[in-house]
Amino acid sequence: MKIFVCVGSSCHLKGSYHILEAFKQAVADNHLEDDITLSAAFCLGKCRDGVSIKIDEEIVTGLSLETFPDVWQTKVLKPLGK
Amino acid sequence: MTSLFADIGHRSLNKYGEQICGDHVQIHTMKDGSPVVVLADGLGSGIKANILSTLTSQIMSTMLANNLPLEVCLETMVKTLPICEVRGIAYSTFTVIRLLQNEEAEILQYDNPHVILLRNGRHVEFPKEKLEIDGKIVYKSRLYIHENDVFIMLSDGAIHAGIGCELNYGWQRDNIIEFVQNMYIAGFTAKTLATIVTDQCNKLYGFKPGDDTTACVIRMRRRKAVHLMIGPPSDPASDELLMEEFMSGPGKKVVCGGTTAEIAARYLDKEIVPVSDYLDPEIPPIASIEGIDLVTEGILTVNRCLVYAKSYLEDNAHYSTWAYKKDGASMLSRILFEDATDIHFFVGKAVNPAHQNPDLPIDFSIKMRLVEQLSDTLKEMGKRVTVRYY
Repeated sequence: MKIFVCVGSSCHLKGSYHILEAFKQAVADNHLEDDITLSAAFCLGKCRDGVSIKIDEEIVTGLSLETFPDVWQTKVLKPLGK
Repeated sequence: MTSLFADIGHRSLNKYGEQICGDHVQIHTMKDGSPVVVLADGLGSGIKANILSTLTSQIMSTMLANNLPLEVCLETMVKTLPICEVRGIAYSTFTVIRLLQNEEAEILQYDNPHVILLRNGRHVEFPKEKLEIDGKIVYKSRLYIHENDVFIMLSDGAIHAGIGCELNYGWQRDNIIEFVQNMYIAGFTAKTLATIVTDQCNKLYGFKPGDDTTACVIRMRRRKAVHLMIGPPSDPASDELLMEEFMSGPGKKVVCGGTTAEIAARYLDKEIVPVSDYLDPEIPPIASIEGIDLVTEGILTVNRCLVYAKSYLEDNAHYSTWAYKKDGASMLSRILFEDATDIHFFVGKAVNPAHQNPDLPIDFSIKMRLVEQLSDTLKEMGKRVTVRYY
């Protein structure tokens, strides 16, 4: 699974750095280094609803540290069957 | 004018406890573009010295830039300067370097430490003619300029550094020559060299300079162009034209902005390769596109670069950050401050819908203002700047 975190100007201002860190932490905590490739991405074109991420081909918007656990559960762990 | 570029940078330390510096550096440009650089050191310290040195450097640079003979300049200076009540004399020492067409240097020295010339990193002495004008001894030299020549002008605060603390006789000219020869690295800018020399003086003074201390450096280098593109054109039909003009000609190519990077990638038919991580939590990570030397985020990166640029013109306090770090703003700063002598901005005027969000502290006018301010500060560094809008 490939996860891209948008680091365009407006997502950055809405907290891309913290979202990327949260993903890094979650990947490490769950020992998913072999299953997930994590990367930053230039603008994903969803500037109004940042922070945006792309999981494989699906774009998920509106991430914040509050919504992160939910996105991690439903969009990452579940599809991986974990 | 030759293909050489005069990179000029200076930095001063105030005498400990003084609010204002008694040394003054003035750079004046002659009609043909040749720079005239004057370093003056006013008698005493504080306001009085500052007035003397400011007047001296202004008079000398303005008159010499207009090709008036040295005798007339000196006479005007002596008659204009206010006379010190304590000492009964009007006095400011000075060093003048006139770069004629950037081909020849004319150097006039009056009572300042003699100019140090490094040629390809090695110190060379140059002939000086001794002139006596109104009882004042002025040394005059004229020499051909070579690429990589570095001229270092100093006020006597530099050679007195360390007296009474670290060194018995101060940091003598020979010691300074040895120091700068060891420091000479072709990539250091004039401002950086001036910063390194004055930092060393400050250290020798135990961070309490006993006198106003100034180093002014002129570094002759080959011209180098950089093209910087920021923002998509207001009409997408102009993408092609913008890219053609941006990619044409020699020089490094820099792309700032996510959408702008997409336009570049599409034109070059290459992928935007994202880089994985934040090196500075405040600066969005860079990316790369084959054929482009640097790809960064737009407005935030440029904004930080502007902060560094302003600091460069003042005390250069952020030098230790931008000179080494690998985040987008630092890399952009190195390209603009160190590599480039000629910078061409290609600015797209499209309004980014994302920036119109009232929740965000950025908008279109900020981008335009950023470009204007950055181009102004780069001009102040002595660089040639052009800005084209699309």
